[in-house]
Amino acid sequence: MLLKQQSRDAFNSLYANYSGVLYGVIKKVITDDQTAQDVLQEVFVKIWNNIEQYNPGKGRIYTWMINIARNAAIDKLRSKGEIMKGKIHTGEDAVYNVSEGMKTEQMTDTIGLKDAVAELKQDYQVIVNLAYYKGFTMEEIAKTLEIPLGTVKTRMRAALQILREYYNNN
Amino acid sequence: MNIKEYIESGILEAYVLGALNENERASVEADMAMYPELVAEVEAIELAMQQHAEATAVQPPAFMEGKIWDAIQAQQPEPLPKETNGQAHKVVDFTPPVVQRRTSWQMAAIWAAVAVSVLTNFVLLSQRNKGNTEIALLNTRIDSMKKMESQMLAKATSYDHGMAMLADTGMKTIVMRTAKPGHTMTSMMFWSKTKGDAYLAIHEMPMPPKGMQYQLWVIQDGKPVSMGVISNDLVANAGTMFKVPMTVTGGQAFAISLEKEGGNPTPTDVMVVGAI
Repeated sequence: MLLKQQSRDAFNSLYANYSGVLYGVIKKVITDDQTAQDVLQEVFVKIWNNIEQYNPGKGRIYTWMINIARNAAIDKLRSKGEIMKGKIHTGEDAVYNVSEGMKTEQMTDTIGLKDAVAELKQDYQVIVNLAYYKGFTMEEIAKTLEIPLGTVKTRMRAALQILREYYNNN
Repeated sequence: MNIKEYIESGILEAYVLGALNENERASVEADMAMYPELVAEVEAIELAMQQHAEATAVQPPAFMEGKIWDAIQAQQPEPLPKETNGQAHKVVDFTPPVVQRRTSWQMAAIWAAVAVSVLTNFVLLSQRNKGNTEIALLNTRIDSMKKMESQMLAKATSYDHGMAMLADTGMKTIVMRTAKPGHTMTSMMFWSKTKGDAYLAIHEMPMPPKGMQYQLWVIQDGKPVSMGVISNDLVANAGTMFKVPMTVTGGQAFAISLEKEGGNPTPTDVMVVGAI
């Protein structure tokens, strides 16, 4: 059937354009391959079903898709109990969460992060990872890393300045 | 507001990174509605995170493409169950037939729309040159301005309310400060001496422990008079102004104490206090 063929072509094109970026995002949240692949499938089905609702006026399609992937992955992470739900109460949690954050970094390093992020100071990287890829709030980050709230914000700013600078010049 | 300081504080980065709680997020969005510079900054941050995601892409294993397509196919509507033999049903059903699924031409139209929409997006997006990025940015800008408009309307309504309060020359602001050294807690009372109206705004107070609630007091002639227990919703939504359902004719101070759920006749554990 022609229409079916067309939608298959559309899917192929969607997949070819975005699967790498979305899988990259999911893998930064979830280390386990099997789980990450399940989430990728869930995310594509969701995008496919909602593509008509996507409004080009509402931000870039990339940001839209990345946020779907990020939220689905963080939800999965929470439901799997890989990080604590909600807030941090004990020191043990904190240590566990820092090591979670570190794990992500090692993982992203091995999969060939470009110079930009290699340049990004460890301190900054942990904060971006915890917020963007682990769903931590600023308060949770401050408690986990035992730094003041203001420092969390300052480091977020500094980290993004480095990334923006890098991508503007490359 | 000093825009430069605001931008340099890092709050917009925290916003894009998803690290703000609901109140903070709402407050940033309200600020964005007022200052287009903030919208532009947020877009630049989003763009950097997007470029970062592109630079760190990871190809999923090859088998995933077919697997995902199968999953998409599998969720398509099931074909109707086979018509039952007419002879088995002699009773005529008078209820109008329920349309159980889209007809094939509707499905065809939907698929065509999907295909066109998806393809259009790709055509637009695959030409990711600077010009297109700018158009996308402008579109986003227009969209945030629309959002801005509705937020400003909402803000205007709340300002109207605030203006009425401010216009009341008898209105006094009483800041209640912490009674616990080492714990920063504050709340505010707005009290109209002339009308006796009193408004409470929790500014910074921790959530009461389970089974406990805050209780509001006015000290009159040295004696605490209860103005009622404070809903935890109000504590969760710091900054919300709440009209106390009681007329306050006079007093020397307002205070908030921590009590068992439902409150107590006299305060047990005073948290914040402010002299009138």
